[in-house]
Amino acid sequence: MAVETLPQALKENYIKYGSRAVAMRVKDRGIWKEYTWQDYYLKVKYFCLGLMHLGLQQGDHVSILGENKPEWNWAELAVQSAGGAVAGIFTDCRPEEVKYYAEHSDSVFAVCHDQEQVDKFLEIKDELPKLKKVIYWDPKGLWSYKDPILISFDEVIELGKARDKENPQAYEDMVNQGKGDDIAALCYTSGTTGLPKGAMLSQKWLVDFVIDWGKYDGWIGKGYEYLSFIPPAWATEQGLGIAGAILGPLTVNFPEEPETVQENIREIGPHVLFFGARLWENLNRMIQAKMMDSTYFRRLIYRTALPIGLKVAGMRTGGRKPGLIWRIIYFLAHHAVFRQLRDRIGLSNVRIVYSAGAAVSPDIIKYFQAIGVDVRLFYGSTEQGVNSLPLAGDIRPETSGLPVPWVEIKLSEEGEILIKNQYPFSGYYKDPEATQKKVKDGWYYTGDFGHLDESGHLIVMDRMDDLKELAGGKKFSPQYTEIRLRFSPYIKDVLILGGPDKEFVTALVNIDLENVGRFAEAKHIAYTTFTDLSQKPEVIELIKKEIDKVNATLPEWTKVKRFVNLHKEFDADEEELTRTRKLRRSFVEKRYEHLIKALYGDQELYTVEATVTYRDGRKGTIQTAIHVTDV
Amino acid sequence: MTQTSQKPAIEVRDLSLRFGGLQALNEIDLDIRPGEILAIIGPNGAGKTSFLNCINGFYHPYRGQIIYQNKDLTRLKPHKIAELGIARTFQNIELFSGLSALDNLMAARHVHMKRGALLGCLYFGPSRREEIAHREEIEEIIDLLEMEAIRKKVVGSLPYGQRKRVDLARALCMDPKVLLLDEPMAGMNVEEKEDMARFILDIFELKKIPIVLIEHDMDVVMDITQRVAVLDFGIKIAEGTPQEIEDDERVIRAYLGEE
Repeated sequence: MAVETLPQALKENYIKYGSRAVAMRVKDRGIWKEYTWQDYYLKVKYFCLGLMHLGLQQGDHVSILGENKPEWNWAELAVQSAGGAVAGIFTDCRPEEVKYYAEHSDSVFAVCHDQEQVDKFLEIKDELPKLKKVIYWDPKGLWSYKDPILISFDEVIELGKARDKENPQAYEDMVNQGKGDDIAALCYTSGTTGLPKGAMLSQKWLVDFVIDWGKYDGWIGKGYEYLSFIPPAWATEQGLGIAGAILGPLTVNFPEEPETVQENIREIGPHVLFFGARLWENLNRMIQAKMMDSTYFRRLIYRTALPIGLKVAGMRTGGRKPGLIWRIIYFLAHHAVFRQLRDRIGLSNVRIVYSAGAAVSPDIIKYFQAIGVDVRLFYGSTEQGVNSLPLAGDIRPETSGLPVPWVEIKLSEEGEILIKNQYPFSGYYKDPEATQKKVKDGWYYTGDFGHLDESGHLIVMDRMDDLKELAGGKKFSPQYTEIRLRFSPYIKDVLILGGPDKEFVTALVNIDLENVGRFAEAKHIAYTTFTDLSQKPEVIELIKKEIDKVNATLPEWTKVKRFVNLHKEFDADEEELTRTRKLRRSFVEKRYEHLIKALYGDQELYTVEATVTYRDGRKGTIQTAIHVTDV
Repeated sequence: MTQTSQKPAIEVRDLSLRFGGLQALNEIDLDIRPGEILAIIGPNGAGKTSFLNCINGFYHPYRGQIIYQNKDLTRLKPHKIAELGIARTFQNIELFSGLSALDNLMAARHVHMKRGALLGCLYFGPSRREEIAHREEIEEIIDLLEMEAIRKKVVGSLPYGQRKRVDLARALCMDPKVLLLDEPMAGMNVEEKEDMARFILDIFELKKIPIVLIEHDMDVVMDITQRVAVLDFGIKIAEGTPQEIEDDERVIRAYLGEE
């Protein structure tokens, strides 16, 4: 019989590996505790039967609220064994949010991690009439709780064992009845507008899609180790840590606490890994800081090796095979620095490294490539799973790779990314209207703006809603261009301009005083102030080159055509930036109204007179001639 | 509550302490009852820390008694009192700053270690088993106080709030029957204070031991304690529930000064 559901796949693993292979590992009380496939299967079986004893019916929904721990996986598989679906809730949700998810998903049980999460449910339980029990797996702090709605995970397992004795065949029969079309999980998407919608993922989504993904990317059947770290309420972890772990099979390792991941990852040395964009940046910053604290000799070796790594990584990205000499030099650099460095950060064994969700600076990706860690940013969504994925050996920092074989991608006239998928989601729970809005003629409207480059790689730029329009109705993404330009060390801040009354895109650039200053020193360019430096012809040329580079990745109509280097830095004291250093777009546009007019005029020089508020409250004016430059 | 009828865990009678001409504590009578969190509050220099120092044997009062398990503690050495099960934390954190958090806790378990230094050096058989058993106890405490991430960090490198946590863990490692906490939340931000308050309540619920804490933050005192004693210039000026204390004229005067 072909495997259609995850519980069926789990049963197969149990038959195949039994207690001979480790399915998951969790660090508890400072020790890695192992669970074999037999342990996994039995926990799921008994927990499922226990839930049924407490009143779980076929097709019921159950909320799970907790960190990544084996109990989450057990509970999820148990619910799915009974033909039900789980609604994962993020641990940092406030009680009102938890109430929305539990209520909207019609959950009959809530499986919680610890006191913190149990408290949330106790606060709202009276408003959830369908809720039968709140189950917790970490009893810490709950010793004196007397509420009859509470029951511990282990107690449920005991109930299940008793029920199994009465009817030993019941569980298996139920699992065999499972169908690929059964809804397995509700993943709530954080819609930018309105309330979150519950995307229904079927068993087919979890099983067939994940098997295809694993085969396409080569992590199936290798016995890889996986570090479970991203929230399981997220579709990505549903695919990797829960479904992928069973179908791979992958050995899932659960860190002790979110704060101990850095330490735990080193103990595990995972092969498959998913880190969010921010984490890669943090990791990079941590290495830089540690190197700065290191001894002179070590820094010297590091600084010699890194450019070699970058050079070779650059060759590989460009599709060239490094020559013998370079390979020898890289081999030396690898053994002198990169191998130890990767060991220190726990990435010695990594083969499959993913990131997604937000843009990672190309410099960070290149850095990790240099030390031999190929971070790959895929494009996907809760509703559609993985849609495009750079394959090993064809990683380009700007793109999300080629569309995967089970997906067809096209662009709407407005530039919206449309997806036709062999494994689509099954619609939004209790919201067919929203489903109809997103899916037309079998095409899923992602709401993302992007384009496919000459070689077919997908470049995702922005949310459709955040786009601006140019005269003539063409859409463009100011944010995408701004983010890309800000990756340049010479550009500190930039405001991209355009609008229905404007023919083309322009930019107000804030140079980075420190780095441009260093550039000027190296070129023996004398300058006095920020204003002076910003208007030096060489500096303007430098910024122009940076803009050229980004322009090369942009569709024709969204390229920056003209720019100015602003004579002063955007300043939070003058309300141009928020205190968190975000640009206050409309304020800045208003303030530099005349300058912006000049950008779209035909003068090459424009004189500004700006009022400056000093820290002590006095006001002054500065007068400067600003160069308007065509790109 | 039935606690009032129970025999106190520690009875302090007529406790008086003098440093030269300075009367640090003057005829203090106070019961520490089983099953309560007792707060001691008072302005700076009121004698709060001196009071704890008397209980755990750092200071020897010239008059009065501290009765614990039918024994007078006033003439005992600190390590003897520790062995009797009275553990404390310190205002200024007294830890081995060059050791890891874990090693600090292992060191604190020494009161419970049966094997001598010599056998310990050999580290096999009974010594080894004993180490492992102690490590298990310590891991329970690490779990309780959520110290997993700092387990192997050198204490000197930890931020203040976390060092306080190690200090509390160290006191717990002694398996205390009474816990004395000297300003466990001083210098912490709101979030750290909330965590600490939660830990104190967890310890109280789990270990069911009396806890005495010196604390300035009245919000914390109101939230987690059953009873409050107020000291001013070495004299106990009030005692009662947090609510009673908050409304007490003498206490308000002691804190705000005479009109």
